[in-house]
Parts: sequence; C-alpha cells; structure tokens
Amino acid sequence: MRVELDDVCMSREGWSLSAQGIFTEGIHLVSGDTGSGKTTLALLLAGLLPPSSGTVCREGISSLMVSFQFPEYHVTGATIRDECISWGIDPTGVLTAANLRDRQDLSPLKLSRGELKRLHLACVLARDYDLLVLDEPFSSLDCREKERVCSAISRRTTGITVIFTHEQMQFPRVDYIWEIARGSLHNRGSVPGALEAWEHAPDIIKKLIARGKVPENITPSDLLEAACRT
Amino acid sequence: MQDVRLRTAAAVLLCISAFISIPGAVAAFLWWLVFAGRFTQVKQVRMMLPIVAMVAFFSIVLALTGGDGASYFIRMMVIILIGFWLYTEQKSGEFLRFGVWLLGERAGFELGMIADMSMQTLHLLVRDFHQICIAETLKGIHPGWKTLVPAGFVLVNGALSRAESTAELMAVRGYHDGGSLCPEFITPRMDILSTLAALCVLILALIPVSEFFILYR
Repeated sequence: MRVELDDVCMSREGWSLSAQGIFTEGIHLVSGDTGSGKTTLALLLAGLLPPSSGTVCREGISSLMVSFQFPEYHVTGATIRDECISWGIDPTGVLTAANLRDRQDLSPLKLSRGELKRLHLACVLARDYDLLVLDEPFSSLDCREKERVCSAISRRTTGITVIFTHEQMQFPRVDYIWEIARGSLHNRGSVPGALEAWEHAPDIIKKLIARGKVPENITPSDLLEAACRT
Repeated sequence: MQDVRLRTAAAVLLCISAFISIPGAVAAFLWWLVFAGRFTQVKQVRMMLPIVAMVAFFSIVLALTGGDGASYFIRMMVIILIGFWLYTEQKSGEFLRFGVWLLGERAGFELGMIADMSMQTLHLLVRDFHQICIAETLKGIHPGWKTLVPAGFVLVNGALSRAESTAELMAVRGYHDGGSLCPEFITPRMDILSTLAALCVLILALIPVSEFFILYR
C-alpha cells in the first residue's frame, strides 16, 4: 500500500508546487505555511486534482477519504443522525463520542463550526480507510477536542494517514514528517530522526533539540517526557 | 477587454441586440466569435449546462403553447454567451471602480461594492459547489438531482453566514455609506474597436433588414 509522487508539479498564476516521494503505511505529517499548497497536495494525493505534470500513483488502495478543512462541504444529512448514517456508521457511538447525542434531530448546519468539525471528524475516524487525508483537522477545535482527535489518529495502525496542518500546539503520534517549503515538498524522514531537520517544528521542539533532549515523538506526553529527562 | 466601462457597455448593447431580433442575435454571436469567443472558457463554466437545459425547457414550453420557441432559444443562448463572457472577464474591484466613475462616491460606491461582493459570492458558490460534489463522491453518493437540495442548503447557509460576517466586520470598521475612490482605467484601442462593433450590432438589430433586401420580402 503506497502513494508515489513522481516529479509532480502543480502550477497556476505565479504559484507552483513540486513534489516527489513515496507515502507508505503509517501516519505522515505534512506541515507548511498558509498558502504553501497543503490543500492542493492533499487533493493531488487523493486523485481529486490532476497534476500539471508528473504522475501520482496509488498502489493497493481500495478505500480513500479526504477530510476537508471546512466540514460544511461534507454535510448531506438533514439531521445530525442522518449525517452519521450517510457515512455508513451507527450514529449512537459516534454521537456519544462527539457529545452530540441529545441534539441528534437538529440540522448539522445549526451546529457551530467547531461542533460540526467535531461531528465530522468523529464520523471520518470511525471508519478505516486505506488512504485517509486530513486537511487541517485541528482547525476550529478547542484544546480538549484537539487532544481527543490526536488520540483517535494515533490509534490508527493500518493504512496511510496523511495530516496536512500548520498546527503548532497539539500533534498525534506520527511516523514520518514532510514539509512544504520554498515551493517544494521535502521528506524529513521518520520520527524522531526527522525532528532536527523539521523547519516548521514548534518552538518547544526546537528548544528541546537545542538542549540535546530529542523527543521520541511529537505528542504532548513525548514532549513532556523529553523536557523532564535528566 | 480591459476597460470594464467599455466591456459592460458592449455587453449591454449586445444583449439588447440579441433580445430584439434574430438578425441581432446572429450579429451578436458573430461579435462574440470575433472578439470574445473562447469555447474552452464556456466549457469550463460548470453552470453552463443546467442553464442551457433550463432555457431549452422554456423554449419547448413556448413552442408547445404556440410561441416561437426556436427564436427564443437562439436569442437567449446568445444572451447567455455574452453573460458568461462578461462573468469570466470580470476582475475583482472592477465594479467598484465602474460604479464610482458612473454614479459617484455615494450611490456609485454602494452599488459598485454590492456588485463586486455579489460576484465574489458567485465565485465562492461555484468553488463551494465543486467541493461539495467531491465530498459527496467520497461518501459514495453520486452528485445528481437528489443531492441538489442538501447541497443547496449548505450553499445558502454558507452564503448567508459569510454575508453576516462581512456586514458585522464592516460595521465594526465604521462603515456607514459611500466611500472615496479615484477610479483608473486602461483603455486599449482594441476595446474601443470592440465597443464600436457592438454598437454596429445594435444598429443592425434595430434596422429592419428586410427593407434593404427586396428579395428577402
């Protein structure tokens, strides 16, 4: 199971992005500044956008899902309950997890952006996909929800999960780090080795590395462990 | 065409010409072929097909009820082509400059700003609709007539929410009415030529052609 980007280039009106690399099974974190091309790359990986040049090859992937930054796009159900059903999942468990069980007859569009994102991610993460692309999964979420989503992502043991984010506070356990810088996608390698080369690393990680305390991973508990290491 | 004033004037002249008569519509279509005709651009606009279908439907109804459905279809199609040309050529901020130039810094500014905001909303609606179709496909739902209602809810809800946020932001920033702007326009010779050609099209539409061609009568 893998997604291979072979000399992929995307360009439009004075902006371009080039990408080369192989996404294998595991959790991949792709970071980059706003406007660097994270969403474009997410769509390219999923085959929802053809590249200007080069090829995107998906091998052994029979199911895929892309979670857009704005959860409204995914809404097809008239009620929150129907929305869960439209994802092919049992609403009871998901609505309990998303803390929305008592509002299941409401329209999803009556929820706040944060609540809708919570519901959407609960639905997406309730199923297993060979390729799961999450575009800014932490936007609109409070710290507690980010933590919950990070735990759910960290529990994924099969398939390829690609997280596109500019988040600097909360991260799930990740296997590989990539980043988009100066119009190109860079593979920084596997964690923890990738952390030293990670340009978009949060300040706390940079400071820990500067003190010679390289964390095992980038979850809050890993960072705490590294900070307390003597 | 770079000058929004001439572009809008040309579009108005051509739409009137197309609406008046079939010769006017044919002349407007020829104008479109010469000065604007980009079939690839038309194909790219996703709204084209449903609008053509809608016009075709009304033309058939008109024909069945004794009207000239074919004439209506031809004239409306040319008007739609001109409309799409105007839509694809439009650049952000143009209507604001045009409004201020035409009607001044109070009513002109307001109307121009509303027109610009409407165009921006239209662009966003097209983008949102595209994203919704992708999301539906990912869920295993094939976009079609049945999915138009939920998609419509999302689009209307999003547009209203954006409008509310914009209104709040403008109020917070102290916007009351009108504004100051010094509109500047670039007017290439080709723009003047195109507009004059559009004027000729209108004259052609207004002149009873049969008066000149005895054999035609």
